[in-house]
Amino acid sequence: MAIKFERVGYEYQDIDGKGYLALADITLNINKTGEFITLIGETGSGKSTLAQHMNALLTPTEGRVHIFGVKISREGKKDKNLKLNPIRQKVGLVFQFPEYQLFEETVGNDIAFGPKNFGVSEKEAEERAKKMINIVGLDESYLSRSPFNLSGGEKKRVSIAGILAMEPDILVLDEPTSGLDPLGRNALLKVFYEIHQKLDKTVVIITHDMNTVYEYAKRVLVMREGNLVYDGAPTQLFSRKNVKNWNLDVPDILKVRRAIEEKLGITIEGETRNKADLMAKIGEALR
Amino acid sequence: MSVIEIENVSFTYHGDKRALDNVSLSIEKGEWVSILGHNGSGKSTLSKLIVGLLKPQSGTIRVDGITLSASTVRDIRKRVGIVFQNPDNQFVGVTVRDDIAFGLENLQIERPEMIERIEHYAKKVDMYPYLNKEPHALSGGQKQRVAIAGILAMKTDVIIFDEATAMLDPEGRERVMEFMRTLNREGTTIIPITHEMKEAVMSDRIVVLKDGKVLKADKSENILKDKETLERSNLELLLPLEIMHYMNENGIDNPSLKEFLWQLSLNG
Ligand SMILES: Nc1ncnc2c1ncn2[C@@H]1O[C@H](COP(=O)(O)OP(=O)(O)OP(=O)(O)O)[C@@H](O)[C@H]1O
Ligand SMILES: Nc1ncnc2c1ncn2[C@@H]1O[C@H](COP(=O)(O)OP(=O)(O)OP(=O)(O)O)[C@@H](O)[C@H]1O
Ligand SMILES: [Mg+2]
Ligand SMILES: [Mg+2]
Repeated sequence: MAIKFERVGYEYQDIDGKGYLALADITLNINKTGEFITLIGETGSGKSTLAQHMNALLTPTEGRVHIFGVKISREGKKDKNLKLNPIRQKVGLVFQFPEYQLFEETVGNDIAFGPKNFGVSEKEAEERAKKMINIVGLDESYLSRSPFNLSGGEKKRVSIAGILAMEPDILVLDEPTSGLDPLGRNALLKVFYEIHQKLDKTVVIITHDMNTVYEYAKRVLVMREGNLVYDGAPTQLFSRKNVKNWNLDVPDILKVRRAIEEKLGITIEGETRNKADLMAKIGEALR
Repeated sequence: MSVIEIENVSFTYHGDKRALDNVSLSIEKGEWVSILGHNGSGKSTLSKLIVGLLKPQSGTIRVDGITLSASTVRDIRKRVGIVFQNPDNQFVGVTVRDDIAFGLENLQIERPEMIERIEHYAKKVDMYPYLNKEPHALSGGQKQRVAIAGILAMKTDVIIFDEATAMLDPEGRERVMEFMRTLNREGTTIIPITHEMKEAVMSDRIVVLKDGKVLKADKSENILKDKETLERSNLELLLPLEIMHYMNENGIDNPSLKEFLWQLSLNG
């Protein structure tokens, strides 16, 4: 088990000193390889807080998290032998707000920062920066620009490139596609999926986009008010009751499929997880 | 009558690449106009020019017939509210309450009315219990809700929503769409900037930007079906219309299903 949550609770401290319980009693296992997980749930349900526990950016106030064998807990916090750097390298986290992640003078330096920090040579880090800027759909002219003088979607892309360049074992992406144009969103989801498939890596994506969940996820985690309320396959998830109780939405593919079935008085056989599948099935049914 | 008139506006941040290149556009009072386009196409730049946060190197901008300039910018900001793409850029107060109050103070709203509006709009976006929290200590979606409340409370004639729903959950997004519908019915000019065709469906008109230029501006029903224009700016058809397109391409003729798909897409 690469990441193991044992009865984890997390309480934020407000400015007025009041505590706010953002996570309650979370027990959860994430494998080192082979997982493609989407983490969903209503606004303020604790998704980002949970994600920040996956690479020890936050330390639980209750319980413990084991990350690649390293125990992270309140009691262990003062331990001088506790090394977080290897954890940060193994579990790469892309923040919900790219602004929290960008700080170097140029985009190129920003992307190269992570790899260099983890001992990759200057030359190799620059190579990676060039490769990654293309992968996220920007050209090399961006490498010499300031990361602060970019559009919202461009910043998001650069922040993703920076984490990809670290080549972590596990990728945790907090709303990586919000603010991306549809072409960019589809392309990057394919990139994440390929990293998962070709390199057998685990990917965790936080999203509000039910289409992403339905098309890609093998496993879905649903948060509600600091609790983990669902951990299972996407196919069973979208019942009327769950959709209503957890502020979800039915994915477009399912919605449109059901509407067409009803309109034509037919039943489409088999699963249709993406547009191409659905269109092919409709084509068959109508010919 | 036009509430916003943009004439031959160009803007360059620095260097020689134009973020906006000779853009002309006019928006009628009470109209609902969505602005779409690929990342970096100039949407946010355009919105910042309209409220005078940036100054065009050439061209003119008029709001309610008033030409935007250093001496009119304050007046114009009373007429046009903008929800920023990054809510952090909008926060100035120590608490959520201060933050919503800030815009109202600028409008010189009387204290009792101000308190009433703060509470009303905080409730509207479901953030009432958070009024005393620090805006920076909120989740992403909560920040967006507060940013929206702050602008709604100002009751400006025109509201620009710069990807204001990008981090909201589906229910929250639907709720904001509902605010837009209600406000627009009451006469407010609504200008959402978005990548979601579902959000654009509701609008009277859609403007598609590409590389700082207006690629196309037309009635929504025409743009929604215009696969070529959409794809040229990294956008995609709504799913039912994609299916309709597939049917056309493959010679599947079923007029009643096509009509059904069209209706389906209009209903989001
Ligand atoms: N720094 C903080 N101080 C105090 N409370 C916080 C802080 N950060 C988050 N919270 C609170 O903890 C709860 C969970 O926040 P979190 O950011 O994990 O939610 P989320 O599920 O990621 O939501 P969203 O979809 O809106 O991003 C929220 O109610 C939020 O107000
Ligand atoms: N502060 C800045 N300094 C320099 N260039 C900038 C700045 N902000 C944006 N740009 C550039 O101007 C162009 C238009 O950016 P703008 O933010 O208007 O795009 P946008 O359409 O809002 O994109 P997105 O969908 O990503 O938010 C882009 O090429 C961007 O790189
Ligand atoms: Mg979050
Ligand atoms: Mg923008």
